[in-house]
This record gives sequence, structure tokens and C-alpha cells, in this order.
Amino acid sequence: MKREWILDKNHLSYWLRQLRNQMQLIAPMRDQVGDIVFKQVEHIHKIELNCPSLLPSVKEFFLPQYERLFEYSKKDDRVVDSISKTKRVIFGLRSCDVAALNTLDRFFIDEMPDPYYKSRRENSLLISIVCNNPDPTCFCIGLDTGPYLKQGFDIQLTDLGDRYFVQAESEWAISIIKNYHFLFSRPQKSDYDDQYEVLLSSKARFQKRISLQQSRQLIKSGRIKDSFWQGITSRCFECGGCVYQCPLCTCFTVVDRSYNDTVERARLWDSCLFKGFTRLAGGILPNEERIKRTKRWFFHKLIHYPDVLESFGCVGCGRCTVTCPGRIDMASVCMKLKSIALNGEEITDEG
Amino acid sequence: MDKILTVCPYCGCGCGLYLHVEDDRIVGVSPCINHPVNRGSLCVKGWNCYEFVHHPDRLKFPMIRKRGTLVRATWDEALDLIARRLTEIKRLYGSDSIGLLSSAKCTNEENYLMMKFARAVVGTNNIDHCARLCHSSTVGGLAAAFGSGAMTNSINEIINARVLFVIGSNTTEQHPMIAMHMLDAVDSGATLIVADPRKTQLAEFAHIHLQHRPGSDVALLMGLMNIIVTEGLVDIDFVKRRTENFDSFLDTLRTFDPAKVEAITGVKIQLLRRVARIYAMEKRSMLFYAMGITQHITGVDNVRALANLVMLTGHIGLPMSGINPLRGQNNVQGACDMGALPNVFSGYQTVTDPRARKKFQNTWRKKLNPKPGLTLMEMMDMAYVGRLKALYVMGENPLLSDPDLGHLEKAMERIDFVVVQDIFPNETMNYADVVLPAASFAEKDGTYTNTERRVQLLQRAISPPGEAKADWEIIVDLATRMGYRMHYRGTYEIMEEIALLTPSYGGILHHRLKEGFGLQWPCPTQDHPGTPYLHRKKFAKGLGTFITVDYIPPDEPPDKEYPFLLTTGRIYFHYHTGTMCRRTVVLEREEPECFVEINPEDADSLGIKNGWPVKVTSRRGSIEVKAKLTGKIPQGTVFIPFHYAEAAVNRLTNPAVDPKAKIPEYKVCAVRIEPLYKMPVVKTPKPPEVELESLRIEE
Repeated sequence: MKREWILDKNHLSYWLRQLRNQMQLIAPMRDQVGDIVFKQVEHIHKIELNCPSLLPSVKEFFLPQYERLFEYSKKDDRVVDSISKTKRVIFGLRSCDVAALNTLDRFFIDEMPDPYYKSRRENSLLISIVCNNPDPTCFCIGLDTGPYLKQGFDIQLTDLGDRYFVQAESEWAISIIKNYHFLFSRPQKSDYDDQYEVLLSSKARFQKRISLQQSRQLIKSGRIKDSFWQGITSRCFECGGCVYQCPLCTCFTVVDRSYNDTVERARLWDSCLFKGFTRLAGGILPNEERIKRTKRWFFHKLIHYPDVLESFGCVGCGRCTVTCPGRIDMASVCMKLKSIALNGEEITDEG
Repeated sequence: MDKILTVCPYCGCGCGLYLHVEDDRIVGVSPCINHPVNRGSLCVKGWNCYEFVHHPDRLKFPMIRKRGTLVRATWDEALDLIARRLTEIKRLYGSDSIGLLSSAKCTNEENYLMMKFARAVVGTNNIDHCARLCHSSTVGGLAAAFGSGAMTNSINEIINARVLFVIGSNTTEQHPMIAMHMLDAVDSGATLIVADPRKTQLAEFAHIHLQHRPGSDVALLMGLMNIIVTEGLVDIDFVKRRTENFDSFLDTLRTFDPAKVEAITGVKIQLLRRVARIYAMEKRSMLFYAMGITQHITGVDNVRALANLVMLTGHIGLPMSGINPLRGQNNVQGACDMGALPNVFSGYQTVTDPRARKKFQNTWRKKLNPKPGLTLMEMMDMAYVGRLKALYVMGENPLLSDPDLGHLEKAMERIDFVVVQDIFPNETMNYADVVLPAASFAEKDGTYTNTERRVQLLQRAISPPGEAKADWEIIVDLATRMGYRMHYRGTYEIMEEIALLTPSYGGILHHRLKEGFGLQWPCPTQDHPGTPYLHRKKFAKGLGTFITVDYIPPDEPPDKEYPFLLTTGRIYFHYHTGTMCRRTVVLEREEPECFVEINPEDADSLGIKNGWPVKVTSRRGSIEVKAKLTGKIPQGTVFIPFHYAEAAVNRLTNPAVDPKAKIPEYKVCAVRIEPLYKMPVVKTPKPPEVELESLRIEE
């Protein structure tokens, strides 16, 4: 069920204010140094609606960097589950993140449901905005994960200048719009035309065209030698930034912390790019060589994900391009692979 | 969820990051995208810097030692006891029997107050901090040559440089965000020269890698300068207009002919020539150095040789052209600037200068001691002979970071009264009479000064655990109890006092720092925009001075009995004495054990295999560690990181110090290595003879 409305821009802040009365409102805010961060909204007029620079991922609201799972009280001999049931509306995220969450759902909910993720996901409403101005680092256009989504969103807004074209898909989203039906109007023929024009012009603004399919085929063809990956690996700083920033990376570790009268079990972000991530009993490190870990990260995203979850482990958000200190992010590596594909076999040996 | 912009508490890069706060707990970290240093990146320590803040080990209450054990006390009891004992010791033995260690992990405001506490309240100049162990040779060496001992350029200039000469710095591991800028520069065509005995990750990208022998840096640099002079690559104009004392320096330089240098350093003459030409002929040449230069008995001479090199070629006083010491701690630059040193007030105004002293006396309304105090190493020597009666340690762990720990332990036992103020229990606390719990970087505000002299604002994100208090609040309280009233409404008022007394910080006030990413000193007035590069048009002291240096071999070269040369340092996943990083799950898991890096050929001759336990012995002690075979280290040299208390390499290191800066020689000492495990000769028993045919199952 997909429904469409028009929302006047002047009505947006009223609508958000009403939503904030019922739920925690998270939105992109610009701080004093010009960075955009997702945080709880205090002043609705300060929400950054046209983000020209990169947005952080919303992964942290579903898989937080540090999440307490449960607490054991030594005195009462009792376990208290810390499952989060906070109702949240996340406003202003982009299509790539919504697409990423849909893939994460398959990982976290479908086969073996993770109650912590599931609860956070079920209690969050996503209001995404179609990107009118993609960043120079974005490459979602080749992956069908942006700049707009055809399906899989809660509420999707398209900026038409003075009004928003609103699309809602989930039942919760539709009921929320219907609650405030007096703010929304029926779209006219011209609105559909305007919306289509916005989508077209947005597509034309992408600076990067990257085909992950091509990279996947090239890797599977066996033409890429280890010398290529060695060159990539030598630039890895082992910061874990790509994994921490990636909206599709799910590595975590679990730790127990004993305080005076409680014990806490927490899970926190980890990264498969660290050699200790696969440490075995007895201290053996199967992936001590760094090249194995770098290769695995790329293979996991380009080979394993499509095989298992039927979509790439990358949504083209370009966040690793910004955060990688060694400049060996997904986009750069795919560009290098592409040049190999174009220049033929003899280049591969040089890496 | 709120996100608060603050500064990373680890290395001197001073990266900007956000702390994610929910219900007074930190739940995450994200990098600041517009920050000029890290530009949206962080290293692994930065990404995980939130975790130790909530660790169960945090000190939450003051403690007093009663009958040998530390027991919980109230703030009043603890502070009254300290005030009473310090006053008593001061009366009985004089102010100079008290020593204070400030901290490069604490804010500028706290270091300033500690310095004020030492000088105005206790009345001694015996104040020092761990910069003694890392960059005291820089502060002394560059100050004598130029008049100011700090990084002359800014980090965001690196990308536009044409030549990067990195000596004695493992930049990718120790200053990862600076290395990021270096690799960007290399990508855009800069030439990278690395001089390091170890084959570091950065050396893999180097166009030229000089693997000179540890401790031969002066010879190497003099050799390069000799070639520059003989090949006529000197910037004669620059030397004439802006420097002095060139002629007498030239006489010593002539003795370092390339053949002699090759014999001392083990670097081929052709390579020396290439490096000299590349470095001297390109104008946008930046020089970087770190502990590999400073932690030697010739530390000051090494730094002076580098200063001579940049003056000889005129590579200073311009953007993308200068000499850049990479400072290790997040606020070691600030702690030095604030005068947590025995011989200077804030802004490097010497205590022996009557005019500077008068200025401070007037403001602080207290007569000040004109005699320079004891350095960290000297304090311990005085303690050893029983003449240092009290020691106040704020945010340091000398019992793991100082050389020759065996000696140090005896010295600590002989001190009557020890106060330790820290966020975690540490090795030094075993000797403490009073322990005070402090607030971590996330629980207080103030300013940090990073390696490029950028003074940045730290913002309080959460409240401290238990009864812990910010270091500055503790000092203020203690000073008042000792009869010297200190009163500040917040750290911004302390900063105002610093600005009043410190010319280079004259225009640095908290409200100005809030608007952007801080200000780079010198910033003398309130409308001054800060100084991205130093020594423009003239040196801080007028003319730059060529200081003659000569090559002195290391204090303890390897010999027959101790055939290996041990060099120490840090590793990527850990940081200094590990109080913070070893309480971070991911970091501790990556490198949970101490190791010794040894060349495979050396290991082979000793019968050691990868991962085997070995015993490393020096003249001062021995430790047991695991062997790690790697070709990164040349034959005859071994490397051990110093983070691990259970295998403290500083039991081995040589306490010999540089005569001028008193910096110990961490980078060179002689050791012996023995395997603790021998491959057992296993006699495989013969398998019993079975007739296979009889085992066959008939179908």
C-alpha cells in the first residue's frame, strides 16, 4: 500500500513538533563548527533540511556503538533486560540509509531475530528525504539505493521547492499522516511532474559512477592477483573507521563488566579488520596477515553479501571515502579495479 | 541523545571528535568532518576513546593509607591530611624537599594551576612532567637555536609540501592522522624520505629509506650537511641575513666527510648524497621528528643538528617549510607552555629572570623562589638519597614510564609522603599515602594544545563517577586549605589569568575558542587570528644560531656480554603506560601481551621460534616476553614496547641522561636474549604392527 500527499513547507515544523510530543525526535543538526550530526532535536527551526555536506550514518540508533544488553544485580540475584523501547522518529535521513536498514533487517531479524535490534527497529519511524544535491562522494545511483527509493521506506519526502511530495508505505506511517490529515493535501498532476523533474536533475548531479557488479565479476574471474590486494593493504591504518561508519557493517564484540553491586553485559562495535577479531582459543590468529583481513572486507561486501542476502554489502553512501585515512575505501578500490578491467590483464601483476 | 564536540585524549594530533551522550553515559564516538587535523577520520584509539570512561576500575573516592592499605576517606580528611603533611614537611625540611609532577594528560588550566601551586603555595620550582621523557631535548634544543621549541608549521600544510623528511618517527602508528596528510602529499607528488632503523609502515611508502644505526643521528645529519656545503646547496642569503655563528659551526662540519659518516651510520654515501640533494634543492621541504631523535643521551645535539640543517638550507619561516617535532601526548605542548617545568614560568619565561619573576610575584602576591628546580630524574635521585621528602603526582605513572624501574622503586620507598591523583589505579599508587580520584577528559572542561600549537576547547559531556573531581578543583581546594586562597568560577577564569601572564597566549580566551577549531599560538592580542607557521621574517629570538654539535656514541653500546641493541617505543593499539587503552576491550584484545621484535636471522642463531617466551636481560634487570620474528627490524637490534606493567621494559632501560635536557636514553641499551623454552626432543613411539587385512570389514 503506497499513499501520496503534498505537505506545505510551512506546515513541516508544526507536524514535527506534534510528532515530538509523542516520540523522541532525531534529526540532522548543524553545530557551531559546521558539522552535521544526528541528535535529539531541541529547536525544530535549527534542523538542517538541505544538507550540502555529508551526513553521518543512523546505524548507531539501531546498533549503538556501546549498548548495554542486560544487567545482573548481585544483591537481588536478578537479571534486568536493558532492551530499548524508546519510541523514536528519525527525520531527515537519506535513501541510502533506509536501504541499508532494509538489508540489515534481513541479517538481524529474518533468520535469527536479534531482540535488541528488532525492538529498536520496530519503535523507530523513518522519515527520509530524497537527495536533491548528492555529495561528490556519493555513488548510490548505480546501486538502486538512492537518490530516492521506489519502495522500502516509511515516509519519503521529495523537496519541490515550496512543498514536499510525501510518500508513505508502512501502516504506522500512514496512520501518523492520517492523524494530521489537515496538514496534507492531495497531489495534483503538476506535482507528479515536478517530482519527476527533481528526481531527474538529482540523478544528473552525481559525480561518481561506480559499478560494484563489474568489480564483483572481475574478482570472481580470478584476474585480480594478491599483489593488487597487497598494494591496497599497505595503506590500511587499521583504524576500523570504514567498519564503524559503514551502515551495513555489523561486527560487534561482547563484554562483561563487574561493578560494585551489578554486572553488566554490553555489546560494542568491533571490526573484522583487526587481527584479534578472529583470535582463537590458545591465542592463534588465523588472520594475522593484514592482506587477509582487507581482502575479506571487500569480498564480504562484494561477493558474500550478494550471494546470501541478494544485495551488495554497500549502499554507495560514500562515508568510507571520507573516513578512510589511507584512501582505500570502497569507491577508490572499485575505481582501481575498473582501470584494471579497462587496461587488460598485464596491469594486474603490477597492482 | 546529544553529541558534544571535544578533543581526543590520546596523542598530540588533537583530533576533533563528538562524544555521544545518553542518560549521562557516553555511548559512542564519531569524528568531526570539518576539523583541520582529522577531516572525518580517526585512528583506532580515537574511535574507542569513550570506553574507559565508564570502566569499573575508575577511582571514585579519595583514599588514605592506613596500616599499609588504602581505605576510603572523605575529601575533607584527604585534603586536610595533604595540607597538614605538606606544610609540616615544608617547615621541617624546606620547600625544596617537595617535588610535584604535573601531567601532559591534564588541561592547560590544570597545568597552570599546578605550576602556580608549586611555586606560590609550596614555594619550590621542583615541578616537572613527562615531557622530560619525550621532548625536553626539543624544548631546550630549538629554544637555543630559534627561541621557540614547537612545531613550526601546521598539519594542514603537509599536503602541499614537496619533500617530507621524517626522522625517528613511526608516524603511521603514533600520529596516524598526520601520516594521513603525509600519504596524501605523497599521492600528489611529494618525495618522502624516512630515516629509521626499523622498517616502519611509513618507510614502505618512502622514496628513500635510510636505515642508520640507532644513536648515530648526529653523524647522519652532519654528513648530510657536509654534502650540502661541499656541493654548494647552502642557502647563502638566508644564512647571511637571518643566522649567526655559521663559521665556527662550519669548522666542525668539515670533519664529517661522507666516508666517515658511512662508517658510523652504515648508510651508503650515494644514498646520503641523494637525500641531501633532494632535501636541499626543493624549497617546500618539511622536516618531522619524534622520539627517535630526542630519547638519546645526545637528544639535544640531535635536535640542534636538525635545526642547523633547516637553517643551512633556509627551510624555515614559510608555509610548508620548517622543522616539526611531533609531540606525543594530547597536551604535552600545553603542559610545557604552561611552565610545568623546573626552570620556566608559563610561556617559557625563565624563573631566573628578575623581571618575569616580578610580574608573577605581583599577580600571585607571593614571593617566588629564584632557583631553578629539579627535573623528574633528579627528583628521583634526590629521593634515593633521602632528600626528597614529599612527592605529589598528578596524572602520571612514573613507576612504568621512567627508566631503570628497580632504582626508582627504591627511591619511591624512601619518600615520606606521596600523593597520587589519577583516574585509574596505577603502579605508582603502590607507594601512595593519599590517592585522589580525578575526572577524565569527558567529565571536565578546559583547553588542550596539540602538536601544531592549536589551543582547543574541551567540553564537559558527563558528570564524574562517584566523588571524583576535576584536577583543577582539587588543586584550588588544596591551595586554599594550605592558606593561599584560590578562587575561580570556572576554567575560563583560569585561562584569563594565563592570558594575562603569558604573552604567547595573550589573546586566547575560551569564548574565542568556541567559534571554531581553536587558535594557534603565538596569539598575543584578542583580535589576533593565531599563527599557522612560526619564525616568519625573523626568528623568535632574532637571529637563528648555529650551534656546534659533535657525534657521541650511545652510552651503552652492545658488547660481548650483552650483544643486542634494545630500542623501545609505542605500538599502534596501545598508549604509554596503558592505564586507558588497556581498559578498552578492542585495544587490549589486539595486543594483550608484551613482545620483543627480533630479526629472524638473529632468532635463528639463538634457536628462537615465533611466539616462544624469551628472557631479555640488561645490566639493570630482566623481563620475560614473547618473541616476535619480523624483518622490519635490522639484525643486531631488538624492539620492545613499554606499555606492559607485567613485562616492563623500563626495568632494562639505561637511566643515562642527556647532560642538558636530562632526557633518558630510552632508545639504546645493550641486552642479552635467552630462549626460555627449548624444543623437546620427542621420541615418537613406533605404532603397533597391525595386520591391516584383518581390520577389513567384510561386506
